[in-house]
Amino acid sequence: MGVISPDKKEQIAGAVADNPGALPADREAYTSRLIEFIRAESSAGRLTSLSALASRFPPPDELSRELGFSITSAIAEVPEAGDLKKMEGSSDAWYFSENTMTGNYALHLLRTEEKDPLMLIAETVRDESRIYPRPTDLTFFTDPPFSMNERELRQALGRMELRPDMSDIKRCAASNGATYLYSTRYLGETLAETLAEWIEVGQKQNP
Amino acid sequence: METFGYTGKILRVNLSAGSVSINDTLKYKEFIGGEGMSMKIMWDEVPAGTHPFAPENKIIFGAGPLCGTGAPCSGRTNITSLLPSSPFHGIASSHMGGYFATELKYAGYDLIVIEGKAASPVWLRIEDEKVRIEDARWMWGKGIFDTQAMVASFMGKEAQVAAIGQAGENLVNLSVIRTGASHSAGGHGGVMGSKNLKAIGVHGTGSVKIAASGKDWLELDAYMMSIIGANNQMVVPSTPQPWAEYSDKSSRWTGRKGLFWGAANPPVETGECDPHDMQSVGLRTMKAIFDLGAGAEKYTVRMGGCSHCPIRCHSQLKVPQLEKYGLDPYVANTCVGWSGPRGVMCYGIKDFDGNTGSDASIVGNAIGTTLADDYGVWCNYAQIGRDLKYCYDKGVFKRVLSAEEYASIPWSKLLSGDASFYFDFYERVAFKKGEFSHIADGSYWIAQRWNLGDDYWNDKSGKLWTRGGYPVHHSNEAGAQVGALISCFSNRDSQNHSHMNFIGSKLPVALQKEIAGEIFGSPEALDAPAVYTKMNVYKAKFVKYSLVRSMLHNSLTLCNWMWPMAVSPLKERKYRGDTSLESKFYSLATGIRMSEKELDETAAKCFTLQRAYTIMQMRTADLRNTHDQTTEWPITPDHAKDGSNIPQFTPGSIQMEKSDLELGRTMVYKEFGWDETTGAPTRSYLESVGLKDVADRLAAAGLLPG
Repeated sequence: MGVISPDKKEQIAGAVADNPGALPADREAYTSRLIEFIRAESSAGRLTSLSALASRFPPPDELSRELGFSITSAIAEVPEAGDLKKMEGSSDAWYFSENTMTGNYALHLLRTEEKDPLMLIAETVRDESRIYPRPTDLTFFTDPPFSMNERELRQALGRMELRPDMSDIKRCAASNGATYLYSTRYLGETLAETLAEWIEVGQKQNP
Repeated sequence: METFGYTGKILRVNLSAGSVSINDTLKYKEFIGGEGMSMKIMWDEVPAGTHPFAPENKIIFGAGPLCGTGAPCSGRTNITSLLPSSPFHGIASSHMGGYFATELKYAGYDLIVIEGKAASPVWLRIEDEKVRIEDARWMWGKGIFDTQAMVASFMGKEAQVAAIGQAGENLVNLSVIRTGASHSAGGHGGVMGSKNLKAIGVHGTGSVKIAASGKDWLELDAYMMSIIGANNQMVVPSTPQPWAEYSDKSSRWTGRKGLFWGAANPPVETGECDPHDMQSVGLRTMKAIFDLGAGAEKYTVRMGGCSHCPIRCHSQLKVPQLEKYGLDPYVANTCVGWSGPRGVMCYGIKDFDGNTGSDASIVGNAIGTTLADDYGVWCNYAQIGRDLKYCYDKGVFKRVLSAEEYASIPWSKLLSGDASFYFDFYERVAFKKGEFSHIADGSYWIAQRWNLGDDYWNDKSGKLWTRGGYPVHHSNEAGAQVGALISCFSNRDSQNHSHMNFIGSKLPVALQKEIAGEIFGSPEALDAPAVYTKMNVYKAKFVKYSLVRSMLHNSLTLCNWMWPMAVSPLKERKYRGDTSLESKFYSLATGIRMSEKELDETAAKCFTLQRAYTIMQMRTADLRNTHDQTTEWPITPDHAKDGSNIPQFTPGSIQMEKSDLELGRTMVYKEFGWDETTGAPTRSYLESVGLKDVADRLAAAGLLPG
């Protein structure tokens, strides 16, 4: 991955977005602009939705009349765009470049874009309980990239308790009062409590 | 003859005779450098049974062949001597970072060996080949900060200084030798004090020659810089960041958007430090918030550290509130340099004297750290605070102190969290005022002196790991039997991060297990946190690797907080590091080609020599039962809420099992080639590594296993 300063990343993203110009009918040129935009957005730590691409870069008539043409297919046909990855959301699709963004981080952003805080919390907690494995501190959701506010988080947690499909998501607490969530699909209660205590208290006592 | 890596000279200082001489380093080359060479010198020249404060004891300041070459994280000074706080004054090493060892190499020396006792206080002045023993009468009685300033006034600010404070002068067992802005070696301050040696100032105008071409050296350096992570080789950031597949809130890779060195002018944003960006390595570890909490951000001027280290893990703060107490507002340290003094306020630091909330915590902690650093008091890896709490809670002080002395101690400040308690505490300890000051004798000695009994040793909250009187230091909570056994083999707190730099990397456990399989032969070498399994031979290999690498780093000298580098932050490397980096650097620097295995076996020999010396000191070959045992609490099951036992190896329990640990000891002894019953080195092993003389001396003393 090359290193681009944060200011430069913003500059590139803005330049591409603000100057769609006369979109070239030429397929290759048109697709290049899409790819550049996705890469620039990814450098700035953002996903690019398919709907945003269609809105900012509406395909010229000549291309949209082609049988089977779509933005998705156009990008997929470019061998040099192998770094671009597409994720399916519930109502849109999202692109990022794995040159500047990992799949796990992109998934965090996707879940935020889905605007379903219950699923965001449940799926993230399940992933953390499975992958690391470890319970998840509630502040994980109030900090970037999720940046939920306290009220939103509290409401989501309350509603989750009423969802049978989220009955595997449980709470535990460390002795300093920090609250953690874990999934019983991957972690037992005792282990989750032990790990939460270790993260919050034990590690500080054993520097 | 040109030497590479080494300067070729050992500086010998006899303070009794007031003489200085030079020895040839390369006579000891088979012991690598630093700690390895120091062990050999101690074995040859300091008889077991010598008291740490006797003139016959030696104290050896050691640099290794990589120190001063520019190898990353090579700024360590190893100090070897007899340890006053150990029950049998065990041979042990302490370490300090900073720039001292590098300057020593530039002055032309690999080691300084100091023996004897000066008739009156002196300091040692080293300026290249000019070495003088100078009058320290005006320094004696001063704190470390003033001492450093005085030496610098004589030698210039480029000089590096190692000094003791009043604690070392007064032969306090728990005292330090300190250098630079924030680097302390714990445990040997009193040894310097016993020799009337106040400080060593060194300034060098030379350089260290390396055998490799500049091109080859820079290539290896660049390669290593592609593998290096953050402090403790944590390779995952503490917050989700676009470049990172993983994150972990307890990672020391704390750099992120919106986190600043807040007291810098202008403030410096740490930012998202992509691991491909070599210019941001020094921003990865914003250690102040890790050690002191979020409130430390606004006090942080910058991160400091050691020579030739890009990591910068020492927090340099400006705390203006300190001036109210007559203290310098600039205070710097890392890790237990903060938490050790903080632990002295064993009921917590609360609002005091107009300081509130997180500011109270930081101001209070800064007072404690400043006083500990200036007086030169060591904390025995934070044990002194736990001992203080135990003795207060159990009424020991009421029992052992006179009524008058007890009443003179400001207990109400301790209990209310008023950090001004530190002023009284550190003054008593540093100047050995009253019976209370014996709290700084070390845990073994206070247990003897104050008849603390088995309850003291077996108290889980006390964290004492063995009856040697030192505490947990990445023990059973760090990799199950791996950490537990590592901690059994030292004569002090183990100071070993070889295993931590891998298991603490913050990568997912499954990935760590894959890597463990590649290094140790099976993923079973590594247990998931709090999901412990029975002992196995792969864990024993991991133990040996960890012990050997620590000795290797202390001999090369490299920082064991960063090395070895079993993992890397790079996804394209599948997060694999390179455990052969030490041998690559050693081979290029010295021109002595050694494979990873060969260098490890050489370090194993040095570690075995330490073991042999310990046997001579303890006057028994049965180290299994006299040295390598834990206290009871690590091998006692936890209790559930209903009072029933939680069996060891239940998920959630990190307790060890006695028979399983005994099996572990046997396996580790076998890995080293030692006698499997006693844990003592055998003649066969000793002769195989060229230590026949060691075997002969052990045999003559009746201490060689049959």
